[in-house]
Amino acid sequence: MVRSRAERVADWAVYAAMLVLALAFLLPVLWLASLSVRTQAEVFLGAARFIPEAPTLDNFVRVLRDGGFQSYIWNTVKLASLGAAGAVALAAPAAYALSRMAFRGKGPLMLAVLSVQMVSGLVVLIPLYRFMDRLGLLESHFGTTLLYIAAGIPVTIWLLKVSFDAVPRSLDDAAAMDGLSRVESFALITLPLALPGLISAFILNLILNWSQFLIPFIMLSADDKWPISVAIFRFAGSTSAATTQLLAAACLLAIVPALVIFVVLQRYILAALTAGAVKE
Amino acid sequence: MADQSAHPAKDPLARIAAPAITSADATPVRQRRAGAAARILSGPLPWLLPALGVLGLFYLYPIFEAVRLAFTDARLFDTETQLSMRSISSMVGSSTLGVILRNTLTYTVASVVGQIALGLAIALLVMRAERARLRGTLALRTIVLAAWVIPAIANGIIWQLLFSEAPFGAINSALRLMGVAPVAWLSDPSNAMTSAVIATIWQGTAYSMILLYAALKTIDPALYEAAAIDNARPWERFWFITLPHLRAALVVNAILILIMTLNMFDTILALTGAGQAGRPRSCRFTPMARCSRISNWGAGPRCRCCCWSSRWG
Repeated sequence: MVRSRAERVADWAVYAAMLVLALAFLLPVLWLASLSVRTQAEVFLGAARFIPEAPTLDNFVRVLRDGGFQSYIWNTVKLASLGAAGAVALAAPAAYALSRMAFRGKGPLMLAVLSVQMVSGLVVLIPLYRFMDRLGLLESHFGTTLLYIAAGIPVTIWLLKVSFDAVPRSLDDAAAMDGLSRVESFALITLPLALPGLISAFILNLILNWSQFLIPFIMLSADDKWPISVAIFRFAGSTSAATTQLLAAACLLAIVPALVIFVVLQRYILAALTAGAVKE
Repeated sequence: MADQSAHPAKDPLARIAAPAITSADATPVRQRRAGAAARILSGPLPWLLPALGVLGLFYLYPIFEAVRLAFTDARLFDTETQLSMRSISSMVGSSTLGVILRNTLTYTVASVVGQIALGLAIALLVMRAERARLRGTLALRTIVLAAWVIPAIANGIIWQLLFSEAPFGAINSALRLMGVAPVAWLSDPSNAMTSAVIATIWQGTAYSMILLYAALKTIDPALYEAAAIDNARPWERFWFITLPHLRAALVVNAILILIMTLNMFDTILALTGAGQAGRPRSCRFTPMARCSRISNWGAGPRCRCCCWSSRWG
């Protein structure tokens, strides 16, 4: 295809716009990286030292040496993965029922599940705090995980329903003729075929849980129980201008795992993000 | 995934499902063995119960409690002793309520519109670049999406470092290098709103971009070819082909973004609140203690705005 002169000019304009956008989305993170490898003296030189003259890894060493940091990361991994697994495990049967069974009130039920998502966590914060206190679940990872699961269930039900809908029903009928029960047909046929959807839902939950702040913030007050989000928030509150480079290093270390998961598993995340909305 | 049904032969399950036709005589035996448990499991209730139970316990019950407590004299750690309208009337009568609601409205509308507009612009740009087979579209998409993955608290801290009015604030020190007077991004209340909106848009745009990009992909290219034959101008193609086809996706996107933005709290908290020593503690307890007296449907914005209004109010 021969491209006209006007089209080639337009291509350059598109390139320029893409470059500007890429910079706009990269620079904030690059600034964080720049601050994190500076010495305290260079931090105060601001943008003039975007590329530091005396870069140092000292800040990372200091953050990583702090025994707390490892426990924050471990707590985050534990809460995020258990919460994601729990949400998928509980949402899967519900999504299967919504996908395969006909019953009264199904439409309203699905809308209700979605509208639960619209209620801000802040609205239920206080009653939830009192409720968890009465159950004796405050300050425990068990109680915190339960809330992660609850927060993940609505969107997971929707995602999994979409993937189960895509598995041909005729396979269920064939399984039923073969004498498989509903549970067997769900476990042996639908689940394996919907595996990409299950993985997508798990990873989306994992990333959302990695960012989760409000739930651990109200549930856990002991330092050694905090996930990284609460820890860096507390750290940001206690730092002064003199320790900005440490805050930047800690912040960078907190987002790197989420970024790595994202880049490696991008395909699944894109699948999860677009599943619900495009198949209207 | 749907195309699997079109190729049953390639389907790994065809092998499992195939014997079904030949071994239909096994059915009665299996059914008898399954017994009563299977009959219960053929209804939807046991399937729905685990998920709905957890939602009911940790979502629905607290919502009802929030409404009930709003009409009592409960405090965070004291149980309620009597019904009271004091909480409601003190909230409605509060002079800051108007400011809070206006702040919430401004923030939400600006953030939602910004995220959708920028997301659509990037999606269109990526489509245009892909059509011309330009390189780097995947890189751009990945970079934009990476912002979405950054935890909201970290996002708030990053933007606080960018907007900071100290010597290490990126934007102000860059402005100073260019000889432009620095801006009070966070300490001036009206600028703080703009700053919060920018931080929110930066992080949230990826979601709109990816949804709208997926929707753009579903538009039949033949429509654009037909438009080209008719000599339609670019804006005409956008207005008469792209937009009408995007309508459903835009509505879904707007609803989802609206929910996310209304629930946005972490970024703003970290952006405006975390920088000061001792702040987090009061931020944790003051709004909660206040909300427990004025807790109702408005407790959400109220809580958020206790933190906000201490800065912006």
